[in-house]
Amino acid sequence: MAELQLQQLSKRFADVVALYSLDLAIESGKFVSLLGPSGCGKTTALRIIAGFERATSGCVLVDGKDVSNVPANHRDMGMVFQAYSLFPNMTARENVAFGLRIRRVSRADRNRRASELLELVGLASMLDRYPHQLSGGQQQRVALARALAIEPSVLLLDEPLSALDAKVRVQLREEIRRIQLQLGITALYVTHDQEEALSISDQVVVLSQGRIEQTGSPAEIYGEPATPFVAQFVGTMNRFEGRVAAEGLVKTHDVLLPAEAALGHPAGDRVLLLIRPESIRLEPLNGDVTVPELGVRGTVKVHTFLGPVTRLSIDTAMGELTVDVGSVQALSLAAGTPVALSWDPASPRIIDLPDDGGAASEPVAAAAQPAGGSA
Amino acid sequence: MANVAPTARPDRSAIVPGRLPAVPAPRRLLGKLSLTWLPVAPFFLYVTIFMLLPSLSIVQGAFSKSTGSGYTLDHVRTLFDPQYRDAFWTSIKLSVATALTGGIFGLFVAYAAVKEGAPRWIRSALITFSGVAANFAGVPLAFAFIATIGTTGVITSFLSSYGIDIYSNGFTLYSFTGLTIVYTYFQLPLMILIISPSIDGLRSQWREAAENLGANTFQYWRMVGLPILWPSLLSAMVLLFGSAFSAYATAYALIGSGSVNLVPIIIGAVMSGNITIDPNLGDALALGMIVIIGFTVAIYALLQRRASRWLR
Amino acid sequence: MRARRLGFWQVFWLVAGALFFLVPLYGTAEYSLETGPGQYGFKHYLTILQDPAFKASFLYSLKIALATVAIGIVLMVPTVYWVNLRLPRLRKVIDFLAVLPFVVPPVALVVGINRLFTSQPVLILGQPQRVSFWLVSGPQILVMAYVILALPFTYRSLDAGMRAIDLHTLTEAAQSVGASWTRVLLSVILPNIRYAMLSAAFLTITLVMGEYTMSSLLLFNTFAVYVEYTGEAKANPAAALAIISFALTWAAMLGILFLGRGVGRRQGQLTGTR
Repeated sequence: MAELQLQQLSKRFADVVALYSLDLAIESGKFVSLLGPSGCGKTTALRIIAGFERATSGCVLVDGKDVSNVPANHRDMGMVFQAYSLFPNMTARENVAFGLRIRRVSRADRNRRASELLELVGLASMLDRYPHQLSGGQQQRVALARALAIEPSVLLLDEPLSALDAKVRVQLREEIRRIQLQLGITALYVTHDQEEALSISDQVVVLSQGRIEQTGSPAEIYGEPATPFVAQFVGTMNRFEGRVAAEGLVKTHDVLLPAEAALGHPAGDRVLLLIRPESIRLEPLNGDVTVPELGVRGTVKVHTFLGPVTRLSIDTAMGELTVDVGSVQALSLAAGTPVALSWDPASPRIIDLPDDGGAASEPVAAAAQPAGGSA
Repeated sequence: MANVAPTARPDRSAIVPGRLPAVPAPRRLLGKLSLTWLPVAPFFLYVTIFMLLPSLSIVQGAFSKSTGSGYTLDHVRTLFDPQYRDAFWTSIKLSVATALTGGIFGLFVAYAAVKEGAPRWIRSALITFSGVAANFAGVPLAFAFIATIGTTGVITSFLSSYGIDIYSNGFTLYSFTGLTIVYTYFQLPLMILIISPSIDGLRSQWREAAENLGANTFQYWRMVGLPILWPSLLSAMVLLFGSAFSAYATAYALIGSGSVNLVPIIIGAVMSGNITIDPNLGDALALGMIVIIGFTVAIYALLQRRASRWLR
Repeated sequence: MRARRLGFWQVFWLVAGALFFLVPLYGTAEYSLETGPGQYGFKHYLTILQDPAFKASFLYSLKIALATVAIGIVLMVPTVYWVNLRLPRLRKVIDFLAVLPFVVPPVALVVGINRLFTSQPVLILGQPQRVSFWLVSGPQILVMAYVILALPFTYRSLDAGMRAIDLHTLTEAAQSVGASWTRVLLSVILPNIRYAMLSAAFLTITLVMGEYTMSSLLLFNTFAVYVEYTGEAKANPAAALAIISFALTWAAMLGILFLGRGVGRRQGQLTGTR
């Protein structure tokens, strides 16, 4: 149970920069996810922490001690790989006991511990099975048990669930979280699946192209994205470029939109307006219903059935809007139906854009601090 | 259709898109042989005539009386006479030796080229070159070595101009040692070609997981790497054994019928009439070779099955 | 993106391997160019190239090689096609037969061939003496034997090639528009396994051009026999011949690689007999 810190960690491969001066602190016992698309540097960062890569500059500190020059096999970190990491010539029990064998634990003791851990991950009956006799999900459980066997100070997980079926993924991620909480171990979890990250983490660090876009609690990342990248990567978000028109109003495509968050922004400022599909209210326009002031008129185009919710694609003067409505309500909103859209002015987020054009990805001052969430 | 018009449309019922036309039903006369076996018959006929029959005639010859008719075990028994026993033993020793030299050397070189850190081009260059070198066996190879470390060879002269005489300690290219060196030249690339896919199969995750759990390089190889790799390693070396055991051209070009007592050389001598030996003994010798190599191929097949369990 | 530095041992073994491969070649090349003490020139190469026996034996072997390729293809293409299309159960049998030429190496096989066709004419299809006499009256018998020697390589090449294309669909498509079996093979299958066939052809030619064992023991003057004979007599020209052989093998290998560009890899074997 240790505190992990990255100080100005950077890594370049020939002419490609994978990480730009990363600063990150992870409190002891917390579950932190590194979230981002492929190529964003999250796996590189993890491998540097584990010791399989050397950083170009910067250091990794565990409980204040610099481990950057410690070889990988002495770092006291347990790592769970994405797939195929179990030793095929050993049974599940032997795999789990491997780290203990290296540490010269007696056979009786290490077998006992291996059995305990396999029980913890729910595989007590699979002790003597070989990896090729186990399913993908079972293999990853064994991998987890194996990493925990050496009682590491930090647990590292490199997209451990990407290679598994959807159902198994959901089940297993809960288990990982449960075990992590039970053992109180510091965990760093790399994934590109934002649902995964949001559902089990204490803190989420969003990475893009080698830089931290935002860190914060799952709620903050989802509800208060600090940069356009985070906004579009996490969940679905409607986004429009526009200029601040007057107090609390943003003008885009000749349409005026309400946004409380625009208060305090000087008029004429270029901004990005972001609003979630579930925050938009929708009413079909028939006879007696009119478009409210500060609302938008649109036409229903496409339905995407998602189960309890149906995602509607609405054509408007400012472009396409995505709106989520209850599937029952969606039945009466066939394609071509004219609708009125509006929202609570408090719902949208506003992000500043530089005046010279092009969306920047600089965090807004209001973003959470890089250390410890407000969880 | 009772009345067919003079310009009836062709009957399309025989051609159903997407289905093969029906194969005629097997004729009762031929019993098991139906027409589906016809296209492969030439192949089987050919293999029978030019491989199986000659092989059978070797077997027959080995057990036939030299004069008159009837069968005997005499020739096979003669195989255990000192000079032939020695020939088999030397052939086996040579094959084992070069299987080891080529095998171990090849393993290290292949591993060095395939593992992380090696630039891509090294691997392709190595594989291509191995493909050529493995084919460079036989007569030209022998001459290449004569030109290099023969008595007037380039390297021999080069070293002696520095005072190093490699022939001073009784070393000669035309000996068991010399043959080992020359054979290794084609055993090495053969090993590289055979073992590279298996080394590829050693996933980097295993190495990294072992490291992560505290193992050093030696421990990794001892507990993970070698246990996984040994069936492939052994089966590759068995192939190398077979390759060396069967070699004739290289040996003949290097030592003629002389200095080293090898089974292929004796068989060659029998066939060219250079020795007055009962030709049936030649059959027996050939049979002995076939048996030994057959044995090694069987071991190879067994090991392959074991190997594929973990590596693919 | 896993660029790591090369470890010491990696470099060591790679250099050791490279040296072991290249030093003999260098030695041979230098030996072949030595025309006198301290003098270098192409005299030995000229000696070889002007030797009528060189050209004669080379063409002789080439003819044999081409005949082997032709028979090999005519024999194996329909067989491999049929096994892949209709008789998958036979695969194990053919796999086994394709390994047999390794179990019965040339030096042993030649004993049987000699006995069967030379000293003991065999009853083949009711035409005893005549057929086998014809077979041994010229290099025909060598061609027949070489087809067997090349069998593992031709089979693997062609099989890999046929497995890479969708045989069933192609056949059915062709037949649904009325093609006969021969038509299907010639116009549809063959063009699609061009690379595999060429690869098999190259390997066979390389094998035949370098084959010494059977040709010498059956007393035919092939190229390899010529090389050996030259080597016994003159050492330097022999080295030149070795270099020429090596260059030709290289050319063949590059030929295969070049053809393989753009086509799927993992087709074909890579080694011959020694």
